[in-house]
Amino acid sequence: MATLTSWVKHLTTDVDSATEGMQVAGEIYPMVGTEGLLVLIGVVAWVGWHVATANGEAEEHKKLARKSPGSNAHKSNITEW
Amino acid sequence: MTDELGALTVIFTEFYYWITVVLMFLIHVGFCMYEVGASRYKHHQHTLMKNTILIPLVTVTFFFFGWWIYWAFPTGPYIAPSIMTESAGLILGGGFGANELANPMSPIMAVNLNDHINGVFWAAFLLFSWTAASIVSGALIERITTFAFGILAIAIGSVFWTIDAAWGWHFDGWMVKLLGYHDAYASGVIHACAGGFALGVLAVLGARIGKFSSSGEPRNIGPRNPWLVCVGLFCIYTGFWGFYAACNIPIFNLGPEYGLGDGVNFWTATNIYVTPTTLSGITMNFLMSLSGGLLAGYWVSKGDPFWTYSGGLAGIITASAGNDLYHPIQAMIIAGIGTYIAYKLHYWVERKFKIDDAVGAVAVHGYAGVVGLIICGFVLWGYPSSGYDGLGYAAINPVGMIIGAFIMFVVLGFIPGYVIAKILQAAGKLRIPREVELAGLDYNIMEAAKRDEKAVSSSNR
Repeated sequence: MATLTSWVKHLTTDVDSATEGMQVAGEIYPMVGTEGLLVLIGVVAWVGWHVATANGEAEEHKKLARKSPGSNAHKSNITEW
Repeated sequence: MTDELGALTVIFTEFYYWITVVLMFLIHVGFCMYEVGASRYKHHQHTLMKNTILIPLVTVTFFFFGWWIYWAFPTGPYIAPSIMTESAGLILGGGFGANELANPMSPIMAVNLNDHINGVFWAAFLLFSWTAASIVSGALIERITTFAFGILAIAIGSVFWTIDAAWGWHFDGWMVKLLGYHDAYASGVIHACAGGFALGVLAVLGARIGKFSSSGEPRNIGPRNPWLVCVGLFCIYTGFWGFYAACNIPIFNLGPEYGLGDGVNFWTATNIYVTPTTLSGITMNFLMSLSGGLLAGYWVSKGDPFWTYSGGLAGIITASAGNDLYHPIQAMIIAGIGTYIAYKLHYWVERKFKIDDAVGAVAVHGYAGVVGLIICGFVLWGYPSSGYDGLGYAAINPVGMIIGAFIMFVVLGFIPGYVIAKILQAAGKLRIPREVELAGLDYNIMEAAKRDEKAVSSSNR
């Protein structure tokens, strides 16, 4: 799971190389190589959010429209706290 | 980063963009205050939530595809070849390609020890995306569904403004090459585009109930809380400092970049086109254009606070296209002209076409942005649009800027806004039911709060 387990080892892998300091693996997040899967999960979560909230909003509007309290009814619901 | 000077340059640039992002958050704070202040009491909480929810929606979609579009589309595609790949197709590789920099699966779209810039540069662009979507948000208050607004916010914030930025706000953009388009601080690429988009949506969405009399005469609705609106606009001004700074590259050596000769160095800040300017100079221009807009707004509106503050914003927006090069007094005059025209156009369009732009967003951003682009074409006529001499870039010119303004306001603004709104309308998802609009979007919340209040007070007896 862990991409690296020792900072010293990670940062000195290319110490003898002619391109010293240039070859340290930049990716240090967990599960390197699963980026495609992560994007897929993210897209599903994003689209799912739209579906869930759109349905909730439409339902709420439908109920309120049926009740049709009128344009001034909210005034009796103004709280004093 | 193995040498100290190189490391300092990179980390300075990283920190510079990071600061701009923090400052630009204030733009969104301001937009939220401004919108809630302009809305009526019974719509307050939904108005706030509508604008707030664009933050995550535009952010995740900008991560998934918005940033990729910016780096892939500078050639059109197939309008003008890239100076990097020499191909007119999408720019996917070659050092600055979309698949290298902005593919959401790319290793530099994450914490990466070999890259310190991509994330903060992405974030700076993202905050521009929020601004574009937020401009649209204000115009539509009190009658659009949150679902529809979310779709529209993604469209303007993660698709259409990023296409126009690729075309006209990128050193390799085809509009810069072929038209001589110049828009240093986004009069067109953000403001004209978002204003045009808002107008397209408004044309389909229609006015708030009661906005126009049966004979078609417009009525004034609000703002309910002018103080909140004005403080919100102050916050937007403040965030605009970050916006201006984020439009620059803070430190760049143009000597080797332009091929000025062996050993020739010219370290400077540049605009997005990699042509030189100074943070110092644009600071003067920012303040002078703010002043020009405030003075004109106060004068033309006869001291109305809402339009005086909006005038300050319209002034900055008008002068922004050329504020990397203008003299401060030029910036002030241009700002005043743009503010005057935006104010007059707002009321003319409202009366003539029955457009209910609740916060004047189309005027302050759209019309002022268009006017700013056109004026820039005349005032900067003949200036090079790029420093890459010999690569065939057109000079800045009025015709190119007028065409550019049309592309921003109409082609990438009004038309997409109109078409998407029509689709949402056909699906019955665009506008809230009439009964809900009359009762207020917050009716259920307010009713529940009243019940809670009664319950608490009865238990206190």
